[in-house]
Amino acid sequence: MSLADLGCFELKRSVDLTALCELVAERHARGRATVMLAGGTDWMVEQEMAPPRGADAERPLVVDVSRLDELRGISLVGDTLRIGAATTYLEIERDPAVKRRAPMLVAMGRDVGAVQIQARGTLGGNLATASPAADGVTALAAYDASVVVRSVRGERTIPFASLQTGYKKTTRAGDEVIVAVELALPPEGSPWAWRKVGTRRAQAISKVAFAAVAVLDGTRVARVGLGMASVAPVTATLPTVRALLASRPITAVDAAALDAAVDADVTPIDDIRSTATYRRHVAKALVRGFAVSLVAP
Amino acid sequence: MRVSFVVNGSAREVDLPPLTRLLDALRGPLALPGTKEGCGEGECGACTVLLDGEPVNACLVAVAQCEGRVVTTIEGLGDATHLEPLQRCFIDHGGAQCGICTPGMLLAADALLARRPDPSDGEIREALAGNLCRCTGYQRIVESVRQAALLREGGAR
Repeated sequence: MSLADLGCFELKRSVDLTALCELVAERHARGRATVMLAGGTDWMVEQEMAPPRGADAERPLVVDVSRLDELRGISLVGDTLRIGAATTYLEIERDPAVKRRAPMLVAMGRDVGAVQIQARGTLGGNLATASPAADGVTALAAYDASVVVRSVRGERTIPFASLQTGYKKTTRAGDEVIVAVELALPPEGSPWAWRKVGTRRAQAISKVAFAAVAVLDGTRVARVGLGMASVAPVTATLPTVRALLASRPITAVDAAALDAAVDADVTPIDDIRSTATYRRHVAKALVRGFAVSLVAP
Repeated sequence: MRVSFVVNGSAREVDLPPLTRLLDALRGPLALPGTKEGCGEGECGACTVLLDGEPVNACLVAVAQCEGRVVTTIEGLGDATHLEPLQRCFIDHGGAQCGICTPGMLLAADALLARRPDPSDGEIREALAGNLCRCTGYQRIVESVRQAALLREGGAR
């Protein structure tokens, strides 16, 4: 553990998004990295576990964005839910609009680490780290969320489908700051599912996590969004499963076809937490369970 | 970096590298060793303190992020001569054994009771899920918190 290295970092406090974008851009132009630190639940651990680099090693500048007003807060306008990138999971869980209109986010938030992690961790941090095991990002995948990023070049919105390009790689440019996520919510009361499968409920990184939202029109699935963690190098969006569910009356979707669709959409591996075989099995069970819940809500 | 914050009701200032862990600031210059270090990676909850009233792992909080904020450690809950009812319940009901997890358990439980004066067993277990104990088997801890809730309801606090 290289705790000593933590003492070698410089830190700036950020109070203004425009100034933050200018700082990040100026450093990016010089090839210098900037770490935007929110809850620190990933980054602090990474630093503490990393091999010592020594006092003279080049380090990124750390900017504390945890209390930057422009990155915080939750608003619901019409059916669009906007969550600031530095809003904590605990704040999301407790928000009345989220409870009413996006209950899946509440269920997901309660499964992120434990309350100590929920009090610090943020969607922006998980999007930046871009781990395919991140619970929060899995939920965003199911909502087909848009990620709002800002730089000195302006603001743009990245659709979830074009965000992740590989293991911990995203299309966010090096000078862009994650500002918020925007979710187009299904009508109140629409079906949803959140399932996390891990060694234990709290403090476990998912072996597999599954997020789903749907809008039904009689027996037809008018809209379906799915996300799955820890079954691919990126957060899986299960496009084949989505297409199958939307292609015919839900009562006409059979288990074998669902299993085949899952097989087409996931590429799990053996790692320290689980095996590819088990993950594939769980992925199919979770998808089938959701499909069944749509038949008999 | 100079960081000013309120610790256990008193204004305090430290001058430390900004990414010093809050845990080290507390146990070192602030001379508050009641906060324990367990895993040092946010898994065990032994270093739980309250930051603006919410439980956090002090091993994952950079001290610079505490500027202007309110931190409560176990020393701020009560001491040997003035035990909080919650602390008394941990003693009376066997919720404390070796003591390493106890400060974090107490603060996580205190935060729960502040929001939920009458929590269910499920809520108690969820609130303490980030605090690992290797002695008690948890049942006695849950009972201690339940008893504290009853005492508080009865106006002991």
